[in-house]
Amino acid sequence: MKAQKLGAWIAIAIGATYFIVPLLGTIEFSLRMRRDAYSFDAYQSVFSDISFRETFSYSMMMAALTIVFGMLLVVPTAYWVRLRLPQMRQVVEFITLLPLVIPAIVIVFGYIQMYKSSSYLPLTGSTTGTNILLMFSYITLSLPYMYRAVDTAMRAIDVRTLTEAAESLGASWTTIMFKCIFPNVMSGVLSGAFITLAIVMGEFTMAALLGRPAFGPYLQRVGANQAYEPSALAVIAFSITWLSMGLLNLVSRFGKARPARV
Amino acid sequence: MSFLTLTNIQKSFGQTQVVKNFNMNIEKGEFVSFLGPSGCGKTTVLRMIAGFETPTGGTLTINGKDQRALKPNQRNIGMVFQAYALFPNMTVHDNVAFGMKVAGAPKPEIDKRVKEMLGLIKLDHLADRFPYQMSGGQQQRVALARALAVKPQVLLLDEPLSALDAKIRVSLREEIRQIQQSLGITTVFVTHDQEEALSISDRIVVMNGGKADQIGTPFEIYNTPATRFVASFVGTLNLIEAKVIDPDSNRIQIGDQGVTLKQSVQTYKAGDTVQLALRPEAGSLAEGTQSDTALTGEVVSAHFLGSVIRTRMNVGGNVISFDMFNSPGVTPPAAGETVTLRFMAADLLVIRD
Repeated sequence: MKAQKLGAWIAIAIGATYFIVPLLGTIEFSLRMRRDAYSFDAYQSVFSDISFRETFSYSMMMAALTIVFGMLLVVPTAYWVRLRLPQMRQVVEFITLLPLVIPAIVIVFGYIQMYKSSSYLPLTGSTTGTNILLMFSYITLSLPYMYRAVDTAMRAIDVRTLTEAAESLGASWTTIMFKCIFPNVMSGVLSGAFITLAIVMGEFTMAALLGRPAFGPYLQRVGANQAYEPSALAVIAFSITWLSMGLLNLVSRFGKARPARV
Repeated sequence: MSFLTLTNIQKSFGQTQVVKNFNMNIEKGEFVSFLGPSGCGKTTVLRMIAGFETPTGGTLTINGKDQRALKPNQRNIGMVFQAYALFPNMTVHDNVAFGMKVAGAPKPEIDKRVKEMLGLIKLDHLADRFPYQMSGGQQQRVALARALAVKPQVLLLDEPLSALDAKIRVSLREEIRQIQQSLGITTVFVTHDQEEALSISDRIVVMNGGKADQIGTPFEIYNTPATRFVASFVGTLNLIEAKVIDPDSNRIQIGDQGVTLKQSVQTYKAGDTVQLALRPEAGSLAEGTQSDTALTGEVVSAHFLGSVIRTRMNVGGNVISFDMFNSPGVTPPAAGETVTLRFMAADLLVIRD
């Protein structure tokens, strides 16, 4: 029993070392820009770089749009599958899993082929069109996580009975969706939103190939040309992801503290 | 003309017909219960009235208006569900106000109506609570208030008491009946609990295999069941096999004992087998009992059930149960003892399948 416990602790220690040592190394290196002293110069350099601010704002805006439009797509779909088309459940689940098995580069080349300037829907022919295309690409990438988060939240409430109760009280489809369903799957919506935020902030392939000024390509560019700034950026990117994970945990706990009983 | 009419209503799911030519006329202000076992089609009929299911055939009118083309949110029907179905994100006040908000009623009117409804269910002090902060009984009362707040033309109750414990069930069913009578609202109540149906209904529809076996007042359903199914489903009943001796004089034979029935058996021939029903409370062993018929048999067992003693006796191969009220002076008969059960011939009913 004691040997087992010791083995477990050793495994945890190896895992933690594997994860923490490079991270500590990155943090330490990001603080060594000034000779013979630790400083935040690298961070200062990153934050004062106009490209950082532009790409960061751009990716944040794209993340917000991805979350809004993604949820407008995912919540009604999950609701409809649960309520009216349970036989389609496996098909929808399969479709939502595709972005995990098809590489992003394949997806984006497909998009470029389909929406090039000479196509019927020439989205890549304008900046706005390309931004829209990038947003939908992000929705595709986050679909496996978003759909599951929302579907799990929906499983916790009796969607059918709530819908019928609202219908018998005279509610229309949109009222049911936005007043009765959305608020009760909010924990799932927020979980999906934070995962989406983390994905969008770190995504490189789609933004680079569509030629948009996103945070991912900026990270790559800085990494290729500078020494200390890439480490500072890596720490910043990690912090954003952790913040998202922390908020996700908080939301899950909030959701558990107030069970939706029907 | 009746307020709610269901004419030749049919419903099929694929090849399975779950409701077969269901006919029913319900008067305004009437409380009608659909009673039957699971799968008999009672909830399907209720859901067709609500608009959640579309009839495969037949017509459905409320106050003379055909409902078939109307969606559930256009029918003005209040519904209470077994699972309460309160909106978890809304307070009690907001749940009750929901229907009126959807209808676009002005806020002062909504607040007044919510207060009135919460007063009716005696929960006005819990207006700011969320559903998860309330007991099942309280949640179901709020669901009732929510359904009534929109002044529906018909109130539908889909097994609203099934998820509650026995004590709350009894008090809430009385409350439902009292509220229904005070508002005079036409109500359809679905239940598989015969005691619930018998205690609060104006009329009961006993359903079996997708059709109505019998429609009648609780008194009629209990005392004069029309079919063997109704007789066996509602209350406890002895089913006795007898042989017709003389159809013209309604003379039959149970084992080797002759009995003259009040009910006619003229449709039978001499020698035919006939099914008879006798309620356990209809007979007595006491000699002074008002009776015109008697059967003698051997006691099989006697069970003490608290307020009553249920005795089982064998009469010509038929095991007949009967109840005696418990009192300190009563000694239960012993197994093997020969006893005489006295009853009125009118209580012995001929049952058709």
